[in-house]
Amino acid sequence: MGNNGGMDIQNPDKSQVRLKGVKDGFWVTLDPTLPKDFLEEELTRLFNQLQHLAFNSRVVLDIGETLDHQEVIENLAVFLKHKYNVGSVSAPQREHDMMEDKPRKLDMSSTWHQHHTDALIIAGRVRSGQKINAKKHLVILGDVNPGSEIIAGGDILIMGTLGGTAMAGQPDNEDAIILAIGFKPIQIQIGGVIAAGLPTSSAHALEFAHVENGGIVVEDYIKTNPFGRLTWPVVR
Amino acid sequence: MAGGSLKRCSLEGKVIVITSGKGGVGKTTATASIGAALALEGKQVAVVDMDIGLRNLDVVMGLENRIVFNVVDAVKGKCKIKQAAIKDRRIENLYLIPASQSDNKDVLTPDSMVRFCKELRKEFDFVLLDCPAGIERGFENSVAPADEAVVICTPEVSSVRDADRVIGLLYARSITPKLIVNRIVPEMVERGDMLSHEDVVEVLSIELLGLVQMDTQVVISTNTGIPLVLQKDSEAGQAFRRIAMRLNGQKNLPIEIPNSPKSFWKRVGQKIGIGK
Repeated sequence: MGNNGGMDIQNPDKSQVRLKGVKDGFWVTLDPTLPKDFLEEELTRLFNQLQHLAFNSRVVLDIGETLDHQEVIENLAVFLKHKYNVGSVSAPQREHDMMEDKPRKLDMSSTWHQHHTDALIIAGRVRSGQKINAKKHLVILGDVNPGSEIIAGGDILIMGTLGGTAMAGQPDNEDAIILAIGFKPIQIQIGGVIAAGLPTSSAHALEFAHVENGGIVVEDYIKTNPFGRLTWPVVR
Repeated sequence: MAGGSLKRCSLEGKVIVITSGKGGVGKTTATASIGAALALEGKQVAVVDMDIGLRNLDVVMGLENRIVFNVVDAVKGKCKIKQAAIKDRRIENLYLIPASQSDNKDVLTPDSMVRFCKELRKEFDFVLLDCPAGIERGFENSVAPADEAVVICTPEVSSVRDADRVIGLLYARSITPKLIVNRIVPEMVERGDMLSHEDVVEVLSIELLGLVQMDTQVVISTNTGIPLVLQKDSEAGQAFRRIAMRLNGQKNLPIEIPNSPKSFWKRVGQKIGIGK
């Protein structure tokens, strides 16, 4: 262990207890499974160097994603408060706590005002052997014949019959959708999910494909109304 | 008719490529039949077999024993057009320029075909190019000199797919193709076992030139070399005559939809029934 400690001074990055200054205090990353004595020893080594800053500071103890070992934080909090008079000791706030504020910001300023789209909008018939590549969303006013290939980084919206191969959300956006009036594709792909041999619907209904639980699901767009539940219009 | 002379000083003729992408859909039969029908309309017609290495337009037209020179010789300047063009046995004004059986498609280039067809235009009103299957060199050679294109398609998914591809390639070369749906079996369409011509036209969405129904006379005609269009009882032959008329400028000629005889009598019966 002594050997380990010696290494840490040479390579602080590889230490099992790391400290970095954040705007209003210190962020300490540590492994909660290590012995309590060792953790205290390491904290002592780190905090001794910045005793003058530690007074009344805010310390965040980052023990990783695990929810166990809360008692480690409590024990070390007592230790740090007693020895270095730090102001507060807490676990890091989780991401979703911060997300709470975001919707409020959305209705403050409409997100689409300053938005420049990369959507590719084309009109005409896409024939067998033709290939269309769009960086982001792809809108086709016309039919897509069997044997053709259309690829988009985002959504694919077809105001006509889809008969070819459509790949949306390439390479890895599984939130993308493929929408067509007359949904008869040879194959579709959304993100990394592939659906081949889809049953063809003969009706000229407005249908869309999306990823649900790791598989591609095709549903009636009007009945499902997938975006009807969004509370506020957002840029896609 | 003008003494069998090839000389014509009037307007330049049209070069029409007959293509399909897929093989075996009836390109060669269509070329021979449309060529014969146009000649019967009084036009000077040359049909050119572009399937170098696999020639068979000469067989279909019953002229294989008369071949001396072929299209490769004519394009390369080894003979004159007059020498390569074989006059049909039955139909006045119809000439065949046969393919070479021993070469491959690489011996011709699109540029050389453009030059060759420029010469042919001076001599003929219509030059029909029988395009080989596929979209490789033979297709390039046939399409390069063409003013117009006729796409042959059968009511099968595979044929429609290939025709669609070919139509895309033709549009890419600024040629607006016209469509012939060949080998329609009305009984099967009625039963729903075959794509209807509406289905085909819906996918391909190009101007329809005509509908040709399945006809056993085609096999007889191919084997005997007697032109299909001369057989009055051949539905397909008559369909090709109407197609030729449309190509010859009769745009308003209505398109006849092939009917099975049974349904025809059924319809007549219904009419009588209603009449009573």
